[in-house]
Amino acid sequence: MKLSKPKQFFIVLAAFLVLGIPFKVMILVEGFTEVRPVNALPPIAGMICGPLGAFACGVGNMIADMFGTFNGTSVLGFFGNMAAAYLPYRLWHIYSDEQPNLHKNSNILRYVLICFSAALTVSWFLGFGLYYFFGTWIEDIYTYVLFNNFGFSVGLGTPLFIMLSSDDVKIACVHGPKKYLLLKNEKLKKSIPVIHTLIMTVIMVLILVFHFSPADSMTLGVLTAAGVCGIIAISI
Amino acid sequence: MSRTENNILLFSITLCWAASYVFIKNLPPDLSTYAYLTMTCGIAAALLTMVFFKKIIKTSFATFLKSAALSGLLLFNLIFDKMGIDRLASSTASVLASSSIMIVPVVLIIMRKRPSRNNMLGAVVIMTGIMITSGFRAENIFSEGALFMLLSALVASVYTIAADKITKEEDPLVLSILQMWITAISGFIMWFLEEPTTFASLTYTNEMLSSIFILAFFSKAYAYVALMYSQKYSDPMSVTIIASTEPIVTLVLAVLIPTAFEEHFTAAAVFGAVVIMIGAMISETGFLFRKGGKKLEAK
Repeated sequence: MKLSKPKQFFIVLAAFLVLGIPFKVMILVEGFTEVRPVNALPPIAGMICGPLGAFACGVGNMIADMFGTFNGTSVLGFFGNMAAAYLPYRLWHIYSDEQPNLHKNSNILRYVLICFSAALTVSWFLGFGLYYFFGTWIEDIYTYVLFNNFGFSVGLGTPLFIMLSSDDVKIACVHGPKKYLLLKNEKLKKSIPVIHTLIMTVIMVLILVFHFSPADSMTLGVLTAAGVCGIIAISI
Repeated sequence: MSRTENNILLFSITLCWAASYVFIKNLPPDLSTYAYLTMTCGIAAALLTMVFFKKIIKTSFATFLKSAALSGLLLFNLIFDKMGIDRLASSTASVLASSSIMIVPVVLIIMRKRPSRNNMLGAVVIMTGIMITSGFRAENIFSEGALFMLLSALVASVYTIAADKITKEEDPLVLSILQMWITAISGFIMWFLEEPTTFASLTYTNEMLSSIFILAFFSKAYAYVALMYSQKYSDPMSVTIIASTEPIVTLVLAVLIPTAFEEHFTAAAVFGAVVIMIGAMISETGFLFRKGGKKLEAK
């Protein structure tokens, strides 16, 4: 099944609003985040609809924020949710020639790893973005965003994606990216995302286990700079 | 759909139903079962219709009748369940409600579709686990309440077997949307008979509306569409067995979100959960296969 572009955009947007707004009452950090099963959607929207799905997720998150947590930091949420959809789209096509599906166990494992990498990147982006652009460091934000993204994209996203990629539905609206501007070399293309994920994993360990904060850790600053390079290389 | 995909799908339904307890707790205690059914199924049906409108308008009368039959079974299951719960202690009621794990193989045998030996042994072990987990005592088992609970389990078993046949002939998506509509309308009629002011009789709060919406998405829209899809690619025994792992999921959720569950961590509850898990493993493997019995293959 292939949907027209406006349909792709509005279906992802509607799904984001329908799943996002009711949970606004289940607040985790006042003014910032709540329990978010809606985070199951971005990886699927990205893999099925590509950049358009990612844009719909960003807009959907912005509109949903208006029902409870809308403030200046919602701009970060817009880009964070776009990244949560766009990265899985890019990563899937780096490591697979197939249209995204979960028919094989290896594909399920690939999907879980991609969700893990995307969740690490998004929690880093939002946690550190809040610190660098708004001067606030809240460790809980990093933790909740990480668990919301990874937990729901695997726990709820996997079965949802199984249904959407089943033979009866088989929604696929976009092909893989035509070009990887910075990752032209095949070896580089496969190794940069792994290095990026490792950097993000180190950041996660430093924050969750050793309670480092960007305010007093040079290491986190260096790793963040490397993370920025990684995300740019994967995204363009 | 591969077997792993199907098991993930079935397990996610169990997870949705177990987690729905958290949101049901947020509903007003005096909210009628029929009001709950009308609102959750109504919202789920409306949302699914909006997205899949084109599929719905092409529905044939035969598909509508099959959906109506499934909805009728669901409704009877709910009515008997409610009548049983009102008359029995909760542990007795939950064990009797879970007895579909034993009824499904019996109905299959009557229909000459003999389950595998592993399925049969697994069902007995799972039933034992459920009895241990819920602290079952043989009280009031020869009562009117027990009869209603057994009828509810029988109807649930017939539903599973009927859905298994129908989903292989019809579009699972259309079946689930029509079921949602028919259940919502029937629920509304019952609600109207019980409380003529229906929607006007409720006090609406943000928490209550959020919970209704969440339950509509997960325990109705998502769970029933997923159930219909997985039934298409599975067999009734696998569906019943994975559904019977709900006590394990509830126990895990109670560990993860202790404030949301009033689960008591007795040694019996944990032991029962382990027994259920062993039963599910026995059932899903084939080590007794060679000794006889025709194993139902997932299609």
